[in-house]
Amino acid sequence: MNKLLLVVERDIRLFFQYKFLIIIRAIWFVSQIALFGLIASRMVYVQGIDYFRYYVAGLSVMTLYSAAVFIGFDIYEEAEHGVFEYLLSLPVSRRQLVLGRSIGGGLRSFIYVGPLIALSLYVIGSLNPLGFLIALFALFLFSFGVSGMSITIAVMIKSSDRFDILMGVLDALIVRLSTAMYPLAVVQAANPLYGGVASFNPVTFATDLFRWGAGVTLLDNPLLPLLGIVAFFSLFTLVGVILYEQHIEGGGWQ
Amino acid sequence: MPPVIRFKNLTKKFGNLIAVDHLNLEIEEGEILGLLGPNGAGKTTAILMLATVIRPTEGTATVGEYDIRKNPDKVRGLLGIAFQEPKMLWVSTPWDIVNWHAKVCGLSTNERKKRVKEVLDAVDMWEPRHKNVHALSGGMRKRVEIAKILIQRPKVAIVDEPTAQIDIVGKHKIWNMLLELRDEGSTIILATNELYEADQLSDRVGIIHRGKLLVCDTPKKLKDSILGGDIIDVQFEKDAPAKIVEELKGFKEVVDILQVKPTNMRLYLNKVEEVIPKIMNFFAKKDMQITSMRMSEPSLDDVFAHCTGLTIEEAQKDRSE
Repeated sequence: MNKLLLVVERDIRLFFQYKFLIIIRAIWFVSQIALFGLIASRMVYVQGIDYFRYYVAGLSVMTLYSAAVFIGFDIYEEAEHGVFEYLLSLPVSRRQLVLGRSIGGGLRSFIYVGPLIALSLYVIGSLNPLGFLIALFALFLFSFGVSGMSITIAVMIKSSDRFDILMGVLDALIVRLSTAMYPLAVVQAANPLYGGVASFNPVTFATDLFRWGAGVTLLDNPLLPLLGIVAFFSLFTLVGVILYEQHIEGGGWQ
Repeated sequence: MPPVIRFKNLTKKFGNLIAVDHLNLEIEEGEILGLLGPNGAGKTTAILMLATVIRPTEGTATVGEYDIRKNPDKVRGLLGIAFQEPKMLWVSTPWDIVNWHAKVCGLSTNERKKRVKEVLDAVDMWEPRHKNVHALSGGMRKRVEIAKILIQRPKVAIVDEPTAQIDIVGKHKIWNMLLELRDEGSTIILATNELYEADQLSDRVGIIHRGKLLVCDTPKKLKDSILGGDIIDVQFEKDAPAKIVEELKGFKEVVDILQVKPTNMRLYLNKVEEVIPKIMNFFAKKDMQITSMRMSEPSLDDVFAHCTGLTIEEAQKDRSE
């Protein structure tokens, strides 16, 4: 357990050493709210929805997603500098290593996005404390799941160029085919297939729960997206552990 | 006492390339085993398999009572490794790296605080301990890499080319530290392509070439094993014709001849005091002007050349082609 926490601690400390990246991403987040959100909300009208608040909540989840994905890029950075082999040589089990990295990747994105979420809440205004705590918990699991997914893909691909391209495509699909930026009914109306994919998308689960917790939109049954996120988190953590234990070794990274 | 490390037919293939070819070797507790070979010989691959960083294609190894395939976690608990290339991210600092390493290796908080300072001081890295890695020279990074193993004091310490990129004063300092580490009870595997380093530090030296372990013994026995233990290096004014080599082989005391360069020849001899006048006469008769002549005892370089037919530089070139 102690070793797992040390792996978590290392990933968190490393992330916050990339100060430039953190500052730039925070500026991007604020700009998106202050510019895009404010301007776009004047041309979007959806009945019963304040699009500005809707967008700000979605933006928080998108930012959490992109911060949690960063752990995969870290793995390539480490492979390039040989640190990956160093980590594999430590007296830490593969299971502790992958769980620690998944939790560390998720936790650090959560810590990083925390102030931005607080800013979103301030902008959004209303808050249901119990609902919001549940939504926060869901976001917590979501960020671990995304980290686990990023690690799993990085370990499977072993090529930074391919990983970069694939994550770009995945980001486009997983974020665009979700309710992060537009309601499910609108996606469904555009194409029923899109709507089908968006309904089972972890980004949709996370944004729906966050909006519900923050009082932006209502949910008939918050348990369903919560279960969806738990399944997403469990799947990628489990897959990550299996891949790490059975296939991971140093060398061969491009 | 049973050996602390046993390599049993350990093999690694990367596609068609056999990086390590059925390595069999036993290492006794408390010894320094030098693995000597050129870059690409298979030393690093062998030790990375032992450290469970890469998986063997065939065979296995044991560390203590644990098998690297069956109990990799237990094996890693006994090992510490200082890599050939320092493994660190640019944004890290020496203090972060060594302190975190000490934590993972289970040092208590009090011991860690004390030992981090001691070790960073010992490798002259206390002053720049808070500098980012990108601001450190290659030699400084290498010293941080060594610091990790010094703070860990593992049962089995693996050091891969520990003094590459380090100046001569630093080399001696690191050699002394490795000897101290051995005296404190660690068994050390020293992978190196520096012959002098292997000769000075190792209790036994294993020569590895093209993935195969060719010989393994004490440096003295390896040198004594060369027939014609006395060596004469002769440098001629002009290139030595090939037939000269053949004629020299006719002397019964001449065991072997290595044409190092067209103008340089190395003769391995028995009874050097008897044969020298005869050889000098021979060169005089052939009108071969000698510009220099040097007598020496065999080195590990000679042992390597004897085993492989190549100098270590040639072997390195051969492996990289």
